[in-house]
Amino acid sequence: MASHRTSADSRSSTRSSQGRQHHHDPAPPATGPSKLELMQKVFSPFNHKKSDSTRILSDLAPVIMTPRMMNSAAEVSSRPRHSLANPTLARSAMDFATFGRTPFRFGLGSRRITSGELQVVEATEELLDAEVPEPEGVAADVSLLRGFKATIPSADQSRSRRRQMRNVDTPKLGLKKHGMSARGLLTEEEDHDNQSVASEEDMVVIPHQKKKRGRESLSTAKRLGKEELTRQVSEILRDKENLHVRRSLVNGEITEITHKIRALDDVRQKLEQDLLKLQEDELELDDELEGVKERMRFEEAISSQHPELNSSLHLPPSSRRRKGPAFLPSEHSELPPGVAFMTLESHTTPITALDFSEPYGTLVSASEEDAQPRVWDLLAGVEIGRLRGHIGAVKCLQVEDHVCLTGGEDGNVRLWDLRRVEDDEEYKRREMDSIPEVILEEDENTDDGELVERPNGIRDGASESKEPEGPCARVLEGHSRGVTALYFEDECLVTGASDKTLRQWDLTTGQCVMTMDILWAISHPASSSTFGDPYNMSSSFHAPNPAASSAYAMYDDFVGGVQFWGYGLVSGSGDGAVRMWDMRTGQAHRTLLGHTGPVTCLQFDEMHIATGSLDKTLRLWDLRTGGIVETMQLDHPVTSLQFDTRKIVAACGDNGAKIFNRTTSQQSVLLTNGHTKPVERLRYMDKYLVTGGRDATVKIWSL
Amino acid sequence: MPTELPYAADAEDSLSYDELEVLRIQYQKELNQAHVTIQTKFNYAWGLVKSPLHEHQIEGVRLLQDIYRAEPTRRRECLYYLALGHYKLGNYEEAKRFNTLLMEKEPTNLQAQSLGQLIDKKVATEGYVGMALAGGAAAVGAILLAGLIRRATRK
Repeated sequence: MASHRTSADSRSSTRSSQGRQHHHDPAPPATGPSKLELMQKVFSPFNHKKSDSTRILSDLAPVIMTPRMMNSAAEVSSRPRHSLANPTLARSAMDFATFGRTPFRFGLGSRRITSGELQVVEATEELLDAEVPEPEGVAADVSLLRGFKATIPSADQSRSRRRQMRNVDTPKLGLKKHGMSARGLLTEEEDHDNQSVASEEDMVVIPHQKKKRGRESLSTAKRLGKEELTRQVSEILRDKENLHVRRSLVNGEITEITHKIRALDDVRQKLEQDLLKLQEDELELDDELEGVKERMRFEEAISSQHPELNSSLHLPPSSRRRKGPAFLPSEHSELPPGVAFMTLESHTTPITALDFSEPYGTLVSASEEDAQPRVWDLLAGVEIGRLRGHIGAVKCLQVEDHVCLTGGEDGNVRLWDLRRVEDDEEYKRREMDSIPEVILEEDENTDDGELVERPNGIRDGASESKEPEGPCARVLEGHSRGVTALYFEDECLVTGASDKTLRQWDLTTGQCVMTMDILWAISHPASSSTFGDPYNMSSSFHAPNPAASSAYAMYDDFVGGVQFWGYGLVSGSGDGAVRMWDMRTGQAHRTLLGHTGPVTCLQFDEMHIATGSLDKTLRLWDLRTGGIVETMQLDHPVTSLQFDTRKIVAACGDNGAKIFNRTTSQQSVLLTNGHTKPVERLRYMDKYLVTGGRDATVKIWSL
Repeated sequence: MPTELPYAADAEDSLSYDELEVLRIQYQKELNQAHVTIQTKFNYAWGLVKSPLHEHQIEGVRLLQDIYRAEPTRRRECLYYLALGHYKLGNYEEAKRFNTLLMEKEPTNLQAQSLGQLIDKKVATEGYVGMALAGGAAAVGAILLAGLIRRATRK
């Protein structure tokens, strides 16, 4: 047969001759093309591409060219990855080769195709697809083969061979025995067969013989020869090269390891950050749990109580201590965080106090030199009324549900029922329309429960104190100077004023229950309970701290903040001291010193007290021990703060409120669509923050 | 820059058992330390490929594939070694593909060219065997058919 011809043509002609002879006698060549078409149609599902070789082969020898063969042929031809010199030739060669290999695979060789082999073969596809870059760095300097030659064990053989060349034959010195006994190992008794145990004279003779050999250097006994020496020189040079190769290999490894360590360090940092995040989430869940438990109790209480019971002052638990998520409209979650989405403008002077009942509830805000705090509806973002009654500016206020308490510069504390504000406003508007004259009208209005402010500003002092009407439900008088801080919960109210006293009131009766004199506490400190850095108490505490910014040069509010829980009261005052009082005795049992300027804001929870002061610091104290946990140095005096287990939100002189993350120790500032002047007051509940600034606006943020 | 590569004849020359054993121990030691240097892996893989045993060659090629995957800078050399490994295993198709990829990157490489020729020669030899078989099978088939037709025409 034509087994010796190598060209594709001859091969195909061989096949064609065979094919024509035996299989295609009945078919004349003229119908070849149609046969080809038929073949293509039949085998088209198997063929992606039909190259020349496969067409010829399929045309001429359909029996031999089974669909499987066509498959492999087409597969080979459909992977034209490289432009070979003779693609067709190679591929046809492959076809036959595949065919020819089968006897080897299955018959002649007794090899089994293992899974390892299959894995190897299958992996080639993926490997060939991988990119092959230019070698650089170690790879360029030292090829793998060079490294192989340098690092295989036989590379070191020449050195040991050279050493051996220098071995000199000497009579037995028994060095091994010496060495082993030096190491403390037992040496075996050796070679007693040689020595006869005859007599000692024999032993004496030998040293003589040794001496005869003389004191020649060992090297004279050996002659290495020039050839050997030159060979050794070249070997040494080669060994040095090998050493160089090995050194560069090791250096390459070291750099690689360094990179890996750096990458692993990065991964570790990220994981640590994830840990912090998880910690924060856990704290949040704890708060949520508490909130839900309280809610459960509240709802139980509500459902079990009679609906007609209770005064107008019945409330759910104080919002100040409420934890966990608040009830928010579903749209709130769509708000982008850290953006002020609502602005309330009505005031003309910097905001001095604000509070709200709940997110999207009712907000009351007061500003400087304005005796009328405004009441807003947060759902709509509109002002629904004003609280009229105070004479001087309102310095502090608190809102709980529909009850609002305000403390003003006139020294009075007023209690307002916010539900009546809307009615008040409507009536007032109607009043204005109908009767424009200046007349005493209180008699007509008493049944509506409204307090009308006469347009000409004259007030009847007598009627005021006799029967406060309208939204104002009660007036609490007692302080001689402006009330600058207040806190109430349930029926108990504590106020702090610039007359340097703290008063405790009962809201049901409207009477002052106790007066706590700070001045007295200052001059009679409980000796065992002063903490922090003691400093000279006799220094004037009226004068503002020279370090305070100029805006606070006239600051002389003596009590910056109060809060109580049960009978434990904490106050922050203008001398920089934070005092803890027992409301049963009226004595300050602990004074926390540390601030060097008046304390402007204060809050405590079960574990910590947070205070901010004009000395530009924010301090966190441990409630139980009184020690300072953390001091944060800031650029400006702190005027307002609120904190929970995870964050502290503070107004520290920036145009935005600063949020300090307590778990990750990171800070962020809320500036988007924010105030144009420093933030003065703030309050938040869950994800809803309200800030009031010196630019006389109140902005609502989503946290 | 031409890469330093061994001629294919070098692959036929195998290491002694002891030498291979030393390389294997070195490789195992580094495996236990959880950091295998490329050089050690290559040394062991090359020793395996040079061995006449089929299982060793497969293992050697597998290690070379690992090196190929792990070290982009060493890939060009590995192309040659993989081609050589597959050549020894008898996978001429894969060997050809690796070798041609290498020649694309480095057309002047002598070892690659010689390996290419070797592969082609081997493939041709197998092709002859295949042709012989095909011819033989065709002849047998033809004889059978002729016998059937004769029987048919006779009847």
